[in-house]
Amino acid sequence: MTTTQAPGWYTRRKAKSAATNKPGILGYAFLTVVILGALFPLYWSFLIGSGDSSTITKQDIDWLPGGNFLKNAAAVINEPSVGFWKAFTNSIIVSTVVSASVVLFSTLAGYAFAKLKFKGSRGMLLFIIATMAVPTQLGIVPLFIAMSQWFHLSGTLLAVIIPALVTAFGVFWMTQYLTQSLPDELIEAARVDGASMIRTFWHVGLPAARPAASMLALFTFVATWTNFFWPFIILDSNNPTLPVALSLLQSNYFVDYSIVLAGVLLSTIPLLILFAVAGKQLVSGIMQGAIKG
Amino acid sequence: MTTALLDDRQVRRIAFGNRLSHWDFKLSPYLYVSPFFILFALTGLFPILYTAYVSVYDWHIIGGQGDFVGLGNFEWVLGQEKFWLALRNSFSIFLLSAIPQVIFALIIAAVLSDNLRAKTFWRMGVLVPYVVAPVAVALIFSNMFGDQYGLINNLLGRIGLDPVGWHSQVVPSHLAIATMVNFRWTGYNALIFLAAMQAIPRDYYEAAMLDGATKLRQFFSITIPSLRPTLIFVIITSTIGGLQIFDEPRMYDQSGQGGASAQWLTITMFIYNQGFGQTGGGQFGHAAAAAWLLFIIIIVVGLINLAATRAIASAGTRNGK
Amino acid sequence: MTVKVSRRTTATVVAGAAVFALVATGCSSNPAEGGEDGDITLTVATFNDFGYTPELFAEYEASHPGITIKHNKAATSDDARANYFTKLGAGSGLADVEAVEIDWFAELLQYSDKLTDLSSDSVDGRWLDWKEAAATDADGKLIAYGTDIGPEAICYRSDLFAAAGLPTDRTEVAALLEGDWDNYFSVGEQFTAASDSAWFDASGAMIQGILNQEEETLESKDGEVIATTNPVVKDAYEQVLAVSPELSAHFTQWSDDWNAGFANGAFATMLCPSWMLGIIEGNAAEVTGWDIANVFPNGGGNWGGSYLTVPAQGAHTEEAKELADWLTAPEQQLTTFVQTGNFPSQLDLQTSEELTSITRPYFNDAPTGQIFSDRATAVTVAPYKSVKYFPVMSTLQDAITRVDVDKTQSADESWKQFEADVAALG
Repeated sequence: MTTTQAPGWYTRRKAKSAATNKPGILGYAFLTVVILGALFPLYWSFLIGSGDSSTITKQDIDWLPGGNFLKNAAAVINEPSVGFWKAFTNSIIVSTVVSASVVLFSTLAGYAFAKLKFKGSRGMLLFIIATMAVPTQLGIVPLFIAMSQWFHLSGTLLAVIIPALVTAFGVFWMTQYLTQSLPDELIEAARVDGASMIRTFWHVGLPAARPAASMLALFTFVATWTNFFWPFIILDSNNPTLPVALSLLQSNYFVDYSIVLAGVLLSTIPLLILFAVAGKQLVSGIMQGAIKG
Repeated sequence: MTTALLDDRQVRRIAFGNRLSHWDFKLSPYLYVSPFFILFALTGLFPILYTAYVSVYDWHIIGGQGDFVGLGNFEWVLGQEKFWLALRNSFSIFLLSAIPQVIFALIIAAVLSDNLRAKTFWRMGVLVPYVVAPVAVALIFSNMFGDQYGLINNLLGRIGLDPVGWHSQVVPSHLAIATMVNFRWTGYNALIFLAAMQAIPRDYYEAAMLDGATKLRQFFSITIPSLRPTLIFVIITSTIGGLQIFDEPRMYDQSGQGGASAQWLTITMFIYNQGFGQTGGGQFGHAAAAAWLLFIIIIVVGLINLAATRAIASAGTRNGK
Repeated sequence: MTVKVSRRTTATVVAGAAVFALVATGCSSNPAEGGEDGDITLTVATFNDFGYTPELFAEYEASHPGITIKHNKAATSDDARANYFTKLGAGSGLADVEAVEIDWFAELLQYSDKLTDLSSDSVDGRWLDWKEAAATDADGKLIAYGTDIGPEAICYRSDLFAAAGLPTDRTEVAALLEGDWDNYFSVGEQFTAASDSAWFDASGAMIQGILNQEEETLESKDGEVIATTNPVVKDAYEQVLAVSPELSAHFTQWSDDWNAGFANGAFATMLCPSWMLGIIEGNAAEVTGWDIANVFPNGGGNWGGSYLTVPAQGAHTEEAKELADWLTAPEQQLTTFVQTGNFPSQLDLQTSEELTSITRPYFNDAPTGQIFSDRATAVTVAPYKSVKYFPVMSTLQDAITRVDVDKTQSADESWKQFEADVAALG
């Protein structure tokens, strides 16, 4: 199902840029409109989030932000029923651990599939690719039974972390990358020098895998940070992640949208910062064959 | 050759080393893939199989496992009008998001593939929505799409148009939800297309220019055919994602029930409601059966897509030569 | 694209993150366990607004050394219900003291073995009879302490009344609306003829108001779902939908539009259980015209009201029971009434001077204590609500919404679908 994307790795090296066209003013204008469209909902959130509870109901829209953003943000942070800081640290913990784990296990397995010969490897890889089509929802009932009734982990972060420790996509991604970009000669050279398998992996495989691993970490981080379905089922207002906390903001007593949308922005800011720092990497990650997480 | 010069002990040591190295060579690959497979079996495979087990029992969230009912749960789910409505909605939302998204992403990619100044800036710009969580997107948009006091109907009213029932009507509610999906994913897909466009050999375009083909003509007779595999890839991934959509429709109104006549109830919401939801919740048997039905539907759609991929891809290579 | 991070740094970061996370998750997996010796953290979970302020809990903490209270004010009653059953099924994760709303209370009563027996001498005779009876299971075990009830009055916008030529004084308005539902609706016709605003907020609220005055509505006392065959339900449905085109503001209760409608003057009156006061104030802080009339169509009516339960899965059920006892004692219930308008279900309190002397500035200084005390006396019927009440009521609300709000079906079509939906609930 995903083999179609494989060319990404090497084709980029082969053909530099297909187009030599200099774009006209129209092209820039079009892109400007697109980016404004991409930013507008965030600006709208800021408009409402910096006003007061009546801003949203006004029929004459004031297109300039009000001065209440910090006040509303403080209201979100101090709202005891939402537990914003707890949600924030929880999201950081879950996203970090899941990314680290996915990268570690995917690199190990990807290295083996890409560079080591062993019986059954082809079948295993095909199996992994096939499972990528399996919807996550399929397993929620047993996951719920196991996490809550067998292991009594309901409401804990472990219940969110454990099911996400490995992904089929991660293995597929690292296998693809290492197959293309790690020359067999390097491994053979290390073996001839008498390095053990694990030394070879550590000194040759890992360094070669680093660019792809860091991208995988980024994508896993974003996907985990924004994940809602399973955390929503297994976590509660005691110990939420950010999306779960956001869903609580909306369903409060009466809905003050200036506070809800201030919360939306607050929860998005960390990823916007990550984006500012590593946006280039995300872009090149997608262009090298990323798949929707 | 050198062994002759070594004494017995040394020989034995080397032989032992060779044996170790042999096992190292043989076993290591399995060791490297095993953590993945063990974890995957526990957290991925087991739940799927156990879902099949749950789906043939009467099983309540509090009461636990009950009587064996065979295919009863499947019959029950298939007999629910809401299940079919949910199926309709999932497909409709998927189509309304996939089609405009692909078209729009293609256009953006085409413009991005030109020799732009500050390339990275534009590429990053279109990707911004990707880091906004679906729940956050839903909170922003569901309010903008309010029926009586929403921003969009407000603006429509100013240019003299009638308000649209974004929540009350079937198609508008799907459009609104599809808008949220498109907002988040269009830029992402544009970058995938951009990568594929850059992989198209330049000679094709040069030859076309010699033939006097216009830019538009080049786009349709070179760019699009070369993108077919990528197109199909994007369509398949958005099918899988689209049929599972939950976050946006769940957060589209306060109650999260998909509307009074199930206007925007999706299959995943149906599964959630059966298992954990507000009305008739706790029916794990029903939820498990519905989950399997969703899986089967995705496989069927996936196979159709695969067949289409083959047909189009082979047609593509024939035409391409 | 190349990231220059040394191998060692990467490994350290990964290991560090993993340890950090395991420690952190390990800690948070037992939120109920206290830190210091003998210290206990009790969690209280409520929904909407029970009026339990930090000050109130601080007062308890001060008189009970070693106890810290954590308050989870989550969501709507609907969300609280889903959460309650999920966690009850999970066998863990519920708060030490959990609030339950009357509409799904009977459903919970099925699992009374998973709840702590709260019988105690200190609470004998604390509540209205019907309130306490509903909280007692078949074996005579008291599983919940009543918090509030929802005696209903009519809230109205005096400014809109004035503009439409209706009286604005709350005693005159009460006199005007005195009578049955037909009278309430016909005054509404008079109003809408002279105003752009609608008469009431939501048809869904109306049918709830009408049905809450009946003994048997959706379920019969022998446990059958009779919603689709009970003439009481069908009559109420038809009566409401007959007037809704003219009188309704066409909102679904609790929707964004409904919230916005308060401030935008979309409707002039609404059925007003005591707990609604806080919602009106919250949604329309800048509006000055809201007032309350001491009247309700067809006599008295109760809408909503809640209980506190102590799930048996908690680690400190004894301490939790003591806290629930304290929270539902008359003194605290008086405080919460001042805070939010939640009207006490405690017998002694309802006619006490402290309560009846309370007024509410936002509602033009209306004597809310006296009004709701009178409204509570007017409640004569406790509707029978059993296991299926909540899901069937949701289905009925959907049926109303399809006609009144979405306008996608006629009343007849929607009723037919209601019948099918109820059958599907099984």
